Amino acid sequence: MTLLFSITIAGMFGTGAYLMLKRDLIRLIAGMILIGNAANLFIMASALRTGVAAILPASGQMADPLVQAMVLTAIVISFATAALAMVLVYRVYTSHYSVDLQRLSAAEEQQSERDEPESEDLQEDIEDDTDGEPSEVYATAEGRP
Amino acid sequence: MIALPIVILWLGGLLLAVVDGTRKPWGWIASAIMAAAVIATIILGIDIYENGVREMAVGGWSMGVGITLRVDMMGIVFAVLSQVVLLVSLMYEVINDVGARIFPALVLFLGLGLTGLVFTGDAFNFYVFFEIAMLSSYVLVSYGETPRQFRAAFVFITVNLLGSVLFLIGIAAIYHTTGFLDMERIRDHMPLVQENPAILTATLIFIAFSVKLGLFPFHFWLPAVYTGTRPAVAAILSGALANIGSYGLLRFGADIFPRELDQASGVLIFLGAASIIYGGHQAVSRHAANEVLAYSAIGQVGYIMIALGIGGPLGWAAAILYAVLNSLNKVLLFLSGSLRGWLAGAAFAVGAFSVSGLPPAGGFLGKMALFQLSVDQGHPELVALIFLGGALSFVYMFQIYRRRISEASEEDTSPVAVQGLLVGLAVLVLVIGVYPEPLLSIVEHASLALPEGLFP
Repeated sequence: MTLLFSITIAGMFGTGAYLMLKRDLIRLIAGMILIGNAANLFIMASALRTGVAAILPASGQMADPLVQAMVLTAIVISFATAALAMVLVYRVYTSHYSVDLQRLSAAEEQQSERDEPESEDLQEDIEDDTDGEPSEVYATAEGRP
Repeated sequence: MIALPIVILWLGGLLLAVVDGTRKPWGWIASAIMAAAVIATIILGIDIYENGVREMAVGGWSMGVGITLRVDMMGIVFAVLSQVVLLVSLMYEVINDVGARIFPALVLFLGLGLTGLVFTGDAFNFYVFFEIAMLSSYVLVSYGETPRQFRAAFVFITVNLLGSVLFLIGIAAIYHTTGFLDMERIRDHMPLVQENPAILTATLIFIAFSVKLGLFPFHFWLPAVYTGTRPAVAAILSGALANIGSYGLLRFGADIFPRELDQASGVLIFLGAASIIYGGHQAVSRHAANEVLAYSAIGQVGYIMIALGIGGPLGWAAAILYAVLNSLNKVLLFLSGSLRGWLAGAAFAVGAFSVSGLPPAGGFLGKMALFQLSVDQGHPELVALIFLGGALSFVYMFQIYRRRISEASEEDTSPVAVQGLLVGLAVLVLVIGVYPEPLLSIVEHASLALPEGLFP
């Protein structure tokens, strides 16, 4: 049983890690969710004993109820985080018209190039950021839906 | 009584979540709630200072069955520190007009998470509060809602989610090897655990907290996030959220894994030294002030790591002291660096002196404690390193300050109220430097909460 758990967890974690190295943000999120669920499975695997369902009155040895309580909490948390991450991907998409990491890092580089000449002045730097005026990357993408 | 600060922040956060936080009155109410939490924590702290550790089991369960809240002096120090940092950043943003209706509520929830995780005595509950703090900060990083902030938030969420998952796996491993989730019982049973699983678990937890702190090999996300976010959020991240890392390393390292910490002491000192040199070197070569501060943050955590690596009661005390002063410095610098006017300039100068470790600013104390520690333990190379780090930080702080002066213009000065807020914080840092006895005695008391470990 432990071996089965280990192989499954390793498979999920490995797949998640592979997906997280992709350029596409959606796959990256999918990778994050897989890794989170691998951790949840790991909690289940760390149960101290196995047995019948932990409902009273129990007939025979009960399964460890504590890990089930923990994994339930962890599932809720990872669900909330995944939802938040997806909202963020959507916001990245609406502000860049792209979910491709290379385009995003191109935008980041342009930002730092724009910063460089006025880097002497932090205040302007910040005002620039809050204006959110589109740099060239967004300008070229503006034609898209 | 123990749960009072948590309850205040929780109810306050819920209230603020449904109202329009961009309106000034609500912003001030949020600040008042935060201030009430600070006062409640300090009152609890005075009680603990006099009468020792307080604990209770939540939900009416008997001790040992329910989740325990256990507050010691170290928890109080970090709780008050995080809350003060959040309060200052919140007031700064309220005076400057809050840009998003959810901002005050998020700051309160972040305060709830940070207070909860230092108050809890249960490892899994620690993870839950940790995630409350992280979820609020994920949203906070995107505050400002420009493309740049969304990119920063995305980097932040990806890296820190991995860190949280590693921590969760570490907790599950602790449960499996010791059979307990209560930290005190874990501590008692950890020596019975075989060496290999214990080292693996300790490593997982070390990596998880180092990611939060931005220690050298795990720092890659930090500059992009700190430079991408608004100054108030950068101050919150470096002043309050990074405390999770320092507190977690102290609590789990010194308390639960003293044997593993002792074995890894060389590694910690090496990573700390690498962090100081890398952060200082990068900061000197940068131009934008917030970028310099971001790399400086990487360098400063190196000192905490060295104190932790040397260990022993003096080492814990030095680590706590340095964490406190570093948080105050970072908030002061990130906030005053974004303002104009001579008052803010003066506050910035105090912060710059403090980071470089020049008296009379508070940062001097932290450097002094580390210096003393290295001399006592006979590490001449660390003495040299602390000097080198101090010299580097003096150079980069001086560079930023010189640029500020040369760019200073008469026309645009920030509101006097917000400058006054930072002057208040600067005065606090100065007072700590001139009259350090109260802080030193509190920190010494806090370090006694940790076991002496295996150190001579």
